[in-house]
Amino acid sequence: MKQAIFLLLLLSNISSYGQLNCNAFLYNGDSLQYKACKLVERVEKKYYQFSKEYQEGLDKALEIYPYFAYAYREKAAPYVKSGDFITWKKLIDKAVEYDPLQYLGVRASLRYKFFADYKGAIADIEQLDSMVTYDIGPTSNGTYHLNVVKALCHKELGKKRNAIEILVNQIETETYIGAFDYLHLGVLYLNTQMYDEAIAAFEKQKEQNNLAENHYYSAMVFKEIGQIENCIELLKEAKILYEDGYHMHDPYSQLIDEIYLEDIEKELKTAYHTR
Amino acid sequence: MHIQISFILIILLTLISGCQSRKKPSSSNEYLRWVDDIQFDPTLDDESFALCHGEDGVLQYFNNSKGLEYEGEKHAIIKEFEERYDTTIAAKESGLIRIRFIVNCQGETDRFRILSMDENYNQIKIDQSITHQILNITKSLKGWKPKTFEEETVDYYQYLIFKIHQGKIVKILP
Repeated sequence: MKQAIFLLLLLSNISSYGQLNCNAFLYNGDSLQYKACKLVERVEKKYYQFSKEYQEGLDKALEIYPYFAYAYREKAAPYVKSGDFITWKKLIDKAVEYDPLQYLGVRASLRYKFFADYKGAIADIEQLDSMVTYDIGPTSNGTYHLNVVKALCHKELGKKRNAIEILVNQIETETYIGAFDYLHLGVLYLNTQMYDEAIAAFEKQKEQNNLAENHYYSAMVFKEIGQIENCIELLKEAKILYEDGYHMHDPYSQLIDEIYLEDIEKELKTAYHTR
Repeated sequence: MHIQISFILIILLTLISGCQSRKKPSSSNEYLRWVDDIQFDPTLDDESFALCHGEDGVLQYFNNSKGLEYEGEKHAIIKEFEERYDTTIAAKESGLIRIRFIVNCQGETDRFRILSMDENYNQIKIDQSITHQILNITKSLKGWKPKTFEEETVDYYQYLIFKIHQGKIVKILP
């Protein structure tokens, strides 16, 4: 079993590999950063991100080139996953200091997701936006465009109208549509009693990525407008989708607007009772 | 001649031992097996708490991609804190508190550790009127599910982070 676990853990590092392009440093005549980069490449392939050897390997790379932002970001990664906000922040701040264009967005998407730091995430995204003339792009794991993260942070701070405006503007650019964008938009419309708009957004979500959540929240719209039969039908569909594994999920943390089976069952019970 | 060789050997041995005693601790001493490993502390931890696969076999809660696994899901945890955390006796402080611990292969917990910060990521000590309550309620949670890997139950690290505003719990993560 230990071998299988090691393989699993090593594979979990792989998402990082693709982001390294050591030859670019060489091309720019930066031989020290190239050397550090090649060392990091070897460390990433050989060791699990949480291991002592991984941290030591990155330290050696930073001895070669102390301003290597990527190495700081990789050193920070296990700390954010273990919930050590103190060490993570010190390390990711170094990455941002040495390469703000690359890592402001990364810091934003991690501080809102792991530590519910919505104000900090908005500040990072706005800082990044002010520094570039191009599209600021998606989060490092690709779940959302950074503007959608900004919208979600506004929502969590209670500014739902601002969130809707940012989300609608982002969707209209058609540059990057995330897997849950229409769902979040629909929930925001539901929360602000814009029921027709909510249903339209959930329909879009259904076309794009059909999940238990869009059926559940559609049911909540019908509950609000008193159409209990429609509400029950949608909750039944939500339950089937959920049990078949079609629902929001993240291995690290609960996503915004993610639901649990208990939520569906509780609403079904209430709906049957009020029928 | 014999005396000279002995003298040289003594000098060499002294130099070598001197070098060793003055040698700076290498960076390898700063890291444990894995980042944030919680070592047994007899002053804090329960001696009878057993790990099924030893110290080297403790995984992280996300390693099986299933995230937090608790009877009644996250709602059940939130409910415990809503019912038992007494805001009226809590100091009006704000920040984040992380409680990290091990869940063994039988779903039992121990090795609880606290880490806290203010709203600017500075490590601080949050008032005990808050931390004691949070720690005690966390310790009493009994619904942790043993995680499985390759059909075998494993030990794993879990954490809960509490976002506190003016003494109130406003969010529980992950």
